[in-house]
Parts: sequence; structure tokens; C-alpha cells
Amino acid sequence: MSNRRPYVRSMDGWWKRDPYFIRYMAREVSAVFVALYAIVLLFGLVRLGQGEAAFNGWLQYLKTPWMLVFHVIVLAVFCYHTWTWFNIMPKTMPIIFIGGKRLQPGTITGTGLAASVIACLAVLFIVRGMS
Amino acid sequence: MADTEKIIEIQVLRYRPEQDKEPVLQSYKVPFTDDMSVLQGLQYIKDYLDGTVSFRWSCRMAICGSCGMMIDGKPKLSCKTFLREYYPQGLKVEALAHLPIERDLVVGVEDFVTKLESIKPYIIPKEKRTLEQGEYLQTPQQRDMYEQFSSCINCMLCYAACPQYGLNPSFTGPGVLALMHRYNADSRDGGQAERLNSLGHADEGFWGCTAVGYCSEVCPKGVDPANAINQNKMNSAINYFTRFVTPGEADK
Amino acid sequence: MEVFKADVAIVGAGGGGLRAAIAVAEADPTLKIALISKVLPMRSHTVAAEGGAAAVTRPEDSLDHHFNDTVGGGDWLCEQDVVEYFVAHAHEEMVQMEHWGCPWSRKEDGHANTRAFGGMKIERTWFAADKTGFHMLHTLFQTSIKYPSIKRFDEYFCCDLMVEDGRCQGVLAIEIATGEFTLIEAKAVIIATGGAGRVFRENTNGGIVTGDGMALAYRHGVPLRDMEFVQYHPTCMPRTGLLFTEACRGEGGLLLNKDGYRYLQDYGLGPPEDKPRNKFMELGPRDRLSQAFWHEQQKGRTIKGPFGSVVNLDLRHLGEAYLRERLPQIYELAEEFMGIDPAHECIPVVPGVHYTMGGILADGKTASSLPGLYSVGECSSVGIHGANRLGSNSLTELIVFGKVAGLEAVKFAKSVSISNPGAIQKQAEAAQARALGIVNKSGGTERLAVLRTEMAQSMEDGCGIYRLGTTMQATCDKIDELRQRYKNLKLEDKSKVYNTEWLLGIELGYLLEVAQSMVYSAINRKESRGSHQRLDGFEERDDANFLKHSLAYFDGDNAPRIEYGDVKITKSQPGKRAYGAAGVQADEERKKKGAANG
Repeated sequence: MSNRRPYVRSMDGWWKRDPYFIRYMAREVSAVFVALYAIVLLFGLVRLGQGEAAFNGWLQYLKTPWMLVFHVIVLAVFCYHTWTWFNIMPKTMPIIFIGGKRLQPGTITGTGLAASVIACLAVLFIVRGMS
Repeated sequence: MADTEKIIEIQVLRYRPEQDKEPVLQSYKVPFTDDMSVLQGLQYIKDYLDGTVSFRWSCRMAICGSCGMMIDGKPKLSCKTFLREYYPQGLKVEALAHLPIERDLVVGVEDFVTKLESIKPYIIPKEKRTLEQGEYLQTPQQRDMYEQFSSCINCMLCYAACPQYGLNPSFTGPGVLALMHRYNADSRDGGQAERLNSLGHADEGFWGCTAVGYCSEVCPKGVDPANAINQNKMNSAINYFTRFVTPGEADK
Repeated sequence: MEVFKADVAIVGAGGGGLRAAIAVAEADPTLKIALISKVLPMRSHTVAAEGGAAAVTRPEDSLDHHFNDTVGGGDWLCEQDVVEYFVAHAHEEMVQMEHWGCPWSRKEDGHANTRAFGGMKIERTWFAADKTGFHMLHTLFQTSIKYPSIKRFDEYFCCDLMVEDGRCQGVLAIEIATGEFTLIEAKAVIIATGGAGRVFRENTNGGIVTGDGMALAYRHGVPLRDMEFVQYHPTCMPRTGLLFTEACRGEGGLLLNKDGYRYLQDYGLGPPEDKPRNKFMELGPRDRLSQAFWHEQQKGRTIKGPFGSVVNLDLRHLGEAYLRERLPQIYELAEEFMGIDPAHECIPVVPGVHYTMGGILADGKTASSLPGLYSVGECSSVGIHGANRLGSNSLTELIVFGKVAGLEAVKFAKSVSISNPGAIQKQAEAAQARALGIVNKSGGTERLAVLRTEMAQSMEDGCGIYRLGTTMQATCDKIDELRQRYKNLKLEDKSKVYNTEWLLGIELGYLLEVAQSMVYSAINRKESRGSHQRLDGFEERDDANFLKHSLAYFDGDNAPRIEYGDVKITKSQPGKRAYGAAGVQADEERKKKGAANG
């Protein structure tokens, strides 16, 4: 008879044990907001299909105080989500050499973030130009 | 450096399977100097305060991989974590998280070893070569493609950092998957398909990882297992589908 | 008691044990191999070797050069026929390691690179950055997984050899996780348990390096050879003794005293040059460099540090990028353990005990005097290191002689069968009772750590870089006394699961016996040779009386019996051992003499 009696610890509440896990959960939760906003946009698309009046109604609804607050929150969460997304990006890429030198994770993250900022500004600029 | 001795409180999570129903904290007061590691603190306890405290250690220089433990809740090698960082408030040491406690700070390692054995962690040559033909040629850059992943010291800190492993122990886990990638990425090796086939394709293999990324954060050797795993998700998916396209392969 | 029937049992799963296991598995896959290790194989101390492994590789190099460096470096106390075999088989083993996946550092053209090392005439040290031992160990361990005939006993602690009918027929081991005993019957046994550096206070060795295999063979009548030769590595971390590889100097690192002066030039190693030159200055052999430190200390030219005198290891001129590529672990050790950035500051270093040149007496094919018992690696004295080992010869030794040990054990195992299993079982039960006696005994008073500390301090005092008859005698007396007090050892832990205190207790028994063989061998060698240097009227090498191997025989509770054995000389007659400019001159004289004679 073996004297061994390995003790397995519970995983209950694991995500509260380390700030790193809390940040991870926040990242995962932020994806929910991305999905939520996709639904809002999808709704707009449906309204557009129902004619101009319906679409304008949807646009008016977006301007209500509650929806403005919602947009501010979503914007903040999106920024966080984008940041975490590019932060993890180097982990998903194979090792890359440019001119014999290894591409550093910071460069990948930085490039990604810069690209997304530029893309946002470009969209903003185009939308401004159209209106 | 060698200044006057200070006293620090070290709380050790004790578990003696022959007498304890569950782990309990025990506190020790340890005189220390600023150059002393947590491991040296534990050695002091074992030598002079309580000979019954059990823990693994050997090299003292962060290469043998024996002395991993949770220090104030973080997975660390106790040989290169210093007591001064926890003064004056003291510190708590526990067995590595997510692994079964065998005794005190000693965890069960069979699961890790069995998984390592299962992934064929050796060169499966792309082309055979005799000793008379000399070494395979490999440029420094080709070596760089896998060297980092070959630096794993099997300390299992990444397992203690991986909640997915804690929640589902059948997940192969960061360290072993990094070692699998080490061989797949070696220019001398031609065994990638064989290894991927030997791996469970669902939660047990690469897809059990949700990119928490803490494994890479705690790795004392800069192995970056999260990178090894996530750059393989694509390989794994391709391998999965090609198995259906070429049915003969699937039976291997 | 569990019984496992093996053909070959291997104790120790470091580089030597793993290489032997693979050799057995490849030679005959039907043989059952028991690979017993008190730690997981990848924890074995091979892991800590840093610098590299020597093998003649470059076109301008030759086997003769490697032979001469090794024999001269060992102050002519080497078995020359064994050295010849060693240098001839080194390269193929390096290539074998490469085929198994060892990540050797490479040249731009894809060939394995070699670096300079102390006492070596040509760059012939294969390396994997500064983690060579680590990479070799993991490569061997992971490769060993390929062979189903290797049955590993991880975390099994070997506590005795089974000797019946005049030959070794197995081992008794404790399963650490349960405290239960397993008898492993085997037709041949290979000991590969590593050195015994832990008998000293300040050492580079891991906690597991406790001379287990040496003591086990010794207790069964196999002599320990040349145990007085203990290598001090010149560049270790003060207080902890952690190692800064010789490759630091191979890559161009300098040793400076408190005046920033390259003091080695004062000890027959100069003249200094800007670029590292093989067998000059910092690339002299370890014994000479450690001795030079001692002299500097006597002259008051070392630097006073918080843990005693130090000198500076200067790597600053190599630059951060180069250091990170070639010496990443050294960089890490300096930064994390000492808070020093070696690209901008010097690293304070001291000599520390690193390696036991001596060990279990083995012939050139690793066989001991006890039939069926073989040994390989630091625990073994196959005869290639003599009175001072050259850096990067020991990793090569593991794989060259690991293979030899494996093949020899196969031959022997196939020629015999287990005789009288009943008697072996009885022996095992007696050995089990002895091992349990240590933990179950009541009424002991001696604290483990106290005995161990007194031993280590006394060994440092008596068997240091320079030795005196009086201090060695004091150490002899001390170790004799400690062996008596050890019988009165008191252990607190009476449990069975992972009772590490119990194992430490058994290890202390091993350590004390090995320490005793060292100091008695030392006091009886009345000359100075290699790493054994005396200051009490025996300052010179004495070939007339001491071109001999010391052989320490176990004698129960008494001090060991010291005898002497011949040294095998094939082609290199003992000459003047010189380095630097004097070494070049000595080489030329030898060449002239050789030409005149030949």
C-alpha cells in the first residue's frame, strides 16, 4: 500500500488569484462588447433595408443620451481590446528575421497599434469629407 | 550585501500526507542577509529550525529546474528570488499551483513527464546521415528558429501559470508544447506531421490554449511557450484537414 | 520488497548514465535496462556545465595536440593509452550528439563552431552558447525516450550495491515518493553518479553532488583512485560558489587584481597580449590560475569584498551584444544574482571547488576491480584527467566513456546470469535494515547540518589550493571524529513520503567516507603535482617516488588504507609543465629532443 496521497487544490475563483488573470478576463469580456456593437450595427443594416425613414429613426435613436453613454463605454472598451489584441499578436507569429535581425515583439505590437490608429484617422477623415 | 542580519517571516504551506488532511501554513522566522535567495531561506529552515520541511533543489543557478514554487502567489524559481524583496512584510511559499501536492513544496511530476514522452521529443531526421558524413549543416539563423524553445529547463512554472491546465489537466500544456515546437522548427527534423498526429487535436493539443500568455511571463528562461503554441495553431489546423484529404495518412 | 529484473542497471541519469543507457539499448534492444536516478534525469548536474566539450575538429589541430595538452595538463598522472582512445573517439561522439539534435553553436557556413579553452593549444571546444551541459543533458534525455528498453526509475535513491559470488549483481533503491524499497537485480551495473564537490564549503556543485556512487563502490572494496586531486575553478561567485565558465576567458575575458593588473603574468603564464592566446595568461590551466589567486591574496593584491578576497573578471571590452550571444547565462547570473552588468562592470570572482579528478578505479574500458561493476563520468577514474583536468574534457568524457561503459556492460551481462537470487534477496533485506536504521534510530543527538558544515569547513582548511601536513592532519582527525559522531545522527523526520531529511542523512554518510579518502590520499602524497600543491617541504613534483596513482581502500570504521598503482605511459615521458612563453620554449625543446632521438 502506497503512502502517497497527492492533494489536488481547487480551481474555484482562480481568475481572482492574480492581477494577470483579471486582465485576461477583462480582455475576454471586452470581446463581448465587440459582439454587442456588431449587433447594433447589424440592426442599423436591417433598418436601412426597411427604407430611409427607418434608417433615420435608427440614427436618431443612436443620438439619445443613453446610447451616447453606451458609445463612450464601448469606445473605451474597444481601445482596451485593440491594445490587448496587438499585445498578444507577437505570440501568434512565427519568428521573423529582417536583414539578419530578429523582429522584436515590441516592434510587432507597435506597428499594429500604429496601423490601427492610422486606419481610424483615415476613416474619420473620409467620413468628415463625405458629410 | 553582507550587512547585519535581519529576520524575515517565511510562511510555508505544509502538507504531510501521512498526518495532514489538507495543507496548512506554518510560519518560520529566518535570519537573512541581502544576498540570500528564498531557497537559502528554506535551507536554513531545514538545517536549523525544522528538518521535516521537504522541497526539491539542486543547482542553485536556475538551470536544473528543480526549485519552482509559488512565492507570494507567483510561480518562481526559489534559487533566483531573493528574500530582500519581501522584507519587512515577509513572504508565503507554496507548492506550484495546478499540480498535485505530494508533500510540502514537492509536486507530482508524472503528468508532465508522461506528456513529454508522448510528443516524440527527439530528432526524426529529414534525411538520414551517418557519423562519417559529419554533422548536419545548420546556419546560425536556422538554429535561432528553435534555440529559444530548446532552452526549456522543465521547471513547470508555466504549468502553474496556465489556468487552462489547472481547469483541464488533459491539456498538454505550455512547456511540453514548446518542446514539441522546438523539434518541429529544427532544420534537421522531418517529424512534424508525426508529432502533430500523436497530439490530441481538440483541447488536449494547441487548441486547449486560450492565449492567456502568463506562461511566457513567468518563464525564467525566455522560452515564450505562448508563442510556440499560437504559431502552431495554424499548423495544427492544416494538419487536421490534410488528414481528411489524404486518408492513408490519418491511420498512421 | 519490489523486485525488478534487469540485464543492465545504471545508477545516475546524467550525461554519462544516459549515454550508457542509449549505448546498451542500441547494441541490443532485447536487454532490459534499469536507469536509476535520485532526481529527474534533467536535474542531473551535467546540466550546470557551461563552457563546452573538447574534440579535435579544425584542420590545423591533431589528436597528438589534444593528447599532449591533456597529459601535460594532468601533470603526467594520466593513463596515456586511455587518453589516446579518448582523443581519437571524441569527434565522432560530438557528431553523434549533433545528429541527436544538440543545438551546437554554428559558424556562418553551418558547421559546428569551436572556441578556445584553458590549457588547450588549438580551439577545439564545441559549445552550445554557455549552456553546453544543459543542452547535452536534455538532448540525451529526450533522445533516450526513443528507446522502449530503457526503464527509468526517476527519483529512486540508490542505497547499496548487491555483491554476490564475487560480482556485482544489482542495486537496492528507495522510491523517494513512498519510502519503499526496490531491489533491482542486474547482470551488470554501471555507476554514473557524478562527483563529490559537496564535501567542500564553497563549490560550484549542485546539492545532489554527494559522491554516492563513489562511496558505494568503495564500501564494497573497490579502491578510489587519485582522490587528493580536487579542482578549484578560478572564477566562481563569492559565497555561493556559482560558476562563471572558463569560456568567459576563452572569449577574451581578463583577470585583474586590485590595481587592474593582469597578475597572471607574474606566475609563468605571460607575457600578456591584447588578444587571447591559447595556453597563455587567462587561457592557462585551472590549477595554475587558482594557485595564482592564492599568491595574489598572500601579497595583499586582491580586492576586499563582503565575502572575502576577490579578483576581477573583466568582460567589458567584449560588448553587450557579443556577451548576450556567447555568454547569455553568465550575463544573467551576474545581473540577477549580483546586480552587475558585465558589459559595464567587472565581475568579482574567487576560486571554488569544482571537480573531483579522482574516483572509482576503472580500467580503460570503465571496468572496476569488482566484476560486473563499471563506472563513467566524474565518479569514475578512467584515467584521463591525471592531477588536473582540462576544461571541456569532462563533457566529452561522459559521452565517449558512457558509450564504452554501455557496450562493456552488454558484453558482460550476456556472459553471465543472476546467481543465487535468494542470497541477493537476503542482502537486500540487510541493506534495507541499515538504511531504515538511520531514520528509525532513537536517542541520536548530532544535528545533520552541523556535521555537514564542520566537514565542509575542515575540508576547505585541509585540502585547499595549497596544503600543509599539519592542517591536513587536523582534517584527517576531524573527519575521523565526524564519522564517529555520524553514528549518533539525529533525524526529526520519521515519515516515508518524500522524506528528504532521511536521504540527506544517507548522503552525509557517503560524503564523510569520500572526504576521508581525499584527505588521507592527500596527506600521503608527499610532493606537489597538478592540483595537489604542498608548502611544507614538498613543493616540487617527485617523479621518482610519486609518479604513481593513489589508491584508497575502505577499511570499515578505520581510516582508509592507501596504496599506490603504476601510471601507464605510452608516448609522453614526464616533462616540465609550462605555459605562456615558457611553454612555447618547452615545446620546442621537446620537439628538438624528439627529432634528435627519432
